[in-house]
Amino acid sequence: MRPLVSLRTPLLCHSCSRLVWRSVKGQRGYATTTTTTTASEREIYDVVCVGGGPAGLSLLTALRSNPTTSSLRIALVEAQDLSKVASWSLPQDQFSNRCSSLTPSSARFLNTIGAWSHMERSRIQAYQEMQVWDGVSGSRISFDGPSTSQDGVIAYMIENLNLQRGLLKRLSELRDGVNIFDTARVSSISHGSVLSSGHDLTSWPVVTLSSGTSLTARLLVGADGANSPVRTFADIPSRGWDYGRHGVVATLQLSDEGWGGADFKTAYQRFLPTGPIAMLPLPGPFASLVWSTIPSNAALLKSLSPVDFTSMVNAAFRLSTVDLKYMHTLSSGQTSEYSWRMEHNPHDPFPVPPPVTGVQEGTVASFPLRLRHADTYISPRVVLIGDAAHTVHPLAGQGLNAGQGDVQSLASTIEYAVSHGMDIGSMLALEKYNAERYFENHAVLGVCDKLHKLYSVGSGPVVGLRSLGLKAVSALRPVKDFLMKQASGNGFKLF
Amino acid sequence: MTSLFPRGAIRPSSIASTPRQLAIIATHTQPTHRGTAVATPVDDNIQTSRRFSVLNRPPPLYPGHIPLTRLERVSLALGSGILSLRNPYRADLIAACGEALSVPYFIYRLRDAMLSHPVGRRILRDRPKITSTSLSLPHLRSLPPNSLGRTYVNWLDREHVSPDTRLPVRFIDDEECAYVMQRYRESHDFYHSLTGLPTVREGEVALKAFEFANTLLPMTGFACLSVFTMKKQERKRFWEIYGPWAVRNGVNAEEVINVYWEEEMATNVDVLRKRLGIETPPDMRDIRKRERDQRRKEKGEREKMGMGV
Repeated sequence: MRPLVSLRTPLLCHSCSRLVWRSVKGQRGYATTTTTTTASEREIYDVVCVGGGPAGLSLLTALRSNPTTSSLRIALVEAQDLSKVASWSLPQDQFSNRCSSLTPSSARFLNTIGAWSHMERSRIQAYQEMQVWDGVSGSRISFDGPSTSQDGVIAYMIENLNLQRGLLKRLSELRDGVNIFDTARVSSISHGSVLSSGHDLTSWPVVTLSSGTSLTARLLVGADGANSPVRTFADIPSRGWDYGRHGVVATLQLSDEGWGGADFKTAYQRFLPTGPIAMLPLPGPFASLVWSTIPSNAALLKSLSPVDFTSMVNAAFRLSTVDLKYMHTLSSGQTSEYSWRMEHNPHDPFPVPPPVTGVQEGTVASFPLRLRHADTYISPRVVLIGDAAHTVHPLAGQGLNAGQGDVQSLASTIEYAVSHGMDIGSMLALEKYNAERYFENHAVLGVCDKLHKLYSVGSGPVVGLRSLGLKAVSALRPVKDFLMKQASGNGFKLF
Repeated sequence: MTSLFPRGAIRPSSIASTPRQLAIIATHTQPTHRGTAVATPVDDNIQTSRRFSVLNRPPPLYPGHIPLTRLERVSLALGSGILSLRNPYRADLIAACGEALSVPYFIYRLRDAMLSHPVGRRILRDRPKITSTSLSLPHLRSLPPNSLGRTYVNWLDREHVSPDTRLPVRFIDDEECAYVMQRYRESHDFYHSLTGLPTVREGEVALKAFEFANTLLPMTGFACLSVFTMKKQERKRFWEIYGPWAVRNGVNAEEVINVYWEEEMATNVDVLRKRLGIETPPDMRDIRKRERDQRRKEKGEREKMGMGV
């Protein structure tokens, strides 16, 4: 256990402190024969959050930074060493391969909880234009920034580590901090027992760490990712399917910053039948790659030399699917194939990204793509947020933003419960969060899933129809604006 | 937003390096409502149907290229098609018809079939041309009797034809597809020697049916219409023997366009046929000769009988 900030008082929530203080002081309750140690009773928290990723950290920061909820007693359990995250730093010409796109509304939320100013801004890149096109028919749609945001920003590219570090900084700045148990594995989650004081904690989850520490939670938050132990404990089924695709990520070095220079950047995405390839701008002549493709292609890409990998990325934005398919059968020599095909490929130099000149060493990695959605986000004294609740195809860059939406909603739900004297772990209090988020996330999951399926088709009438549809959307300005607002989190509340 | 390049500006990355790219930008760049020059996608289908009038015909995209308007293309296909049915010896008309009918889709499909195959890709990269000089016919004559080269030369000698009579491609806009058409045309003689079909009309029609099943080029299917102009005996043979053979082999065989003939000269022709999945049809010249003899014999007998009476 490593408290970031010493605790002023261990028990803060009113009802909580009444309950436990009395039991500790022995002013009330049954005299029981059990000799429960004071230490284990002291590990009673209002909120125990399992998982210190962006979602978990944002939630804790949101709770701490809000005066109404700032007195809750909070613990964070994280398997990684968070001090490494807090001291993470890279030179200005290197970027982590795990980047996310933050919509303006997510960024606004981070600003509200005071974390935005703690991010290293020189490592965050806003982009103002998006070029999306069909790899088979070439039909294209371009988005520019929504009219709602004054600087025309569609989204911000940020390294996940930069985000986490900023949140940790903000947390340590806040008065009470949180009890952080990092490098701690959850060995089991069970229900509590009747205390010596006579208090019945049998409905309260108890998180036992591999170190032996037990944390009893009024509300257990599962922010522990796609294979969430908290979700398993709560016995909430998670349904969905694997896409049979892998997302290949890498940090790319480009020949230049793009046609708009540093102030106007573009994100590019081309839908290939094997999956979309996206190049998202980072500060300077750098970009982050997310290439969804079939596992055998992903394995090949990871095995290529940097020069051939670079050529493959350039090819994937420019060459025909026939050429790409063939180049995926070669174990080397993609560079010469690429330069030969470019002589016979009269592509437009206009809407493709600047040529990639190199790939940052050690950044090529891949992960399997899935769709998962938990049946519900809440159960008594348990709540799920972020990837633990839903896993989405990365084609619209909505994963992290959906998690931020969850955090925003859950924080306000808890705030409401606290200010109205409700038990924050009760279903009655949590119902609002589930109602706000479930269908909204379901819609995002569904749209991304359908887009993936629509663009997985390599030929035939579907290609013609989807190209026609894209042209129609592109021509209908109001429809395009509507989509843009929805994607940036500024749209109407549909559900 | 303070941008170095305001939205109306031409992006530096769009500056084309070759005249060909420049031409494409010029034809496809159009201003949009927000003042940005946005280029429309240049995909295969759009490029073949570039619109212009006969008064401002664009410059050729490769030596010998003649850009056609859509109307010209349609009339060329119809005109050359009908005339070549009437006179099958007009190779120039057949060639023009083949080019006019090959877009949209079909020639691109054939090119993609080549691009999907390692040897096909190598052919497209090397762009070999088949002529009597590039092949060195004396060398081919020195090859073993069952080799492809020897079979080919024997076939040339038997049919009294030369590989130099192939016309250049003129009406296909994409220069790579033009090469594919050229390659198909030059390979035609190898198809003859691979299948052993003669250059008489009946043999050509059977081979065209095979090619249609194999390459899907519309002209080859169109040429099969001339089966209705053939003699009754020949037509019967086509429906009974050569037609079914052509379809079965054309569909089942590999894409024959992906054979690098120049490198296969020493290969045993039976091995090559087996590799491609082609079975030789019954020898058409033999059948025709037998029938001719039979007819002659019958005629002679009839005459004899007539004299006897």
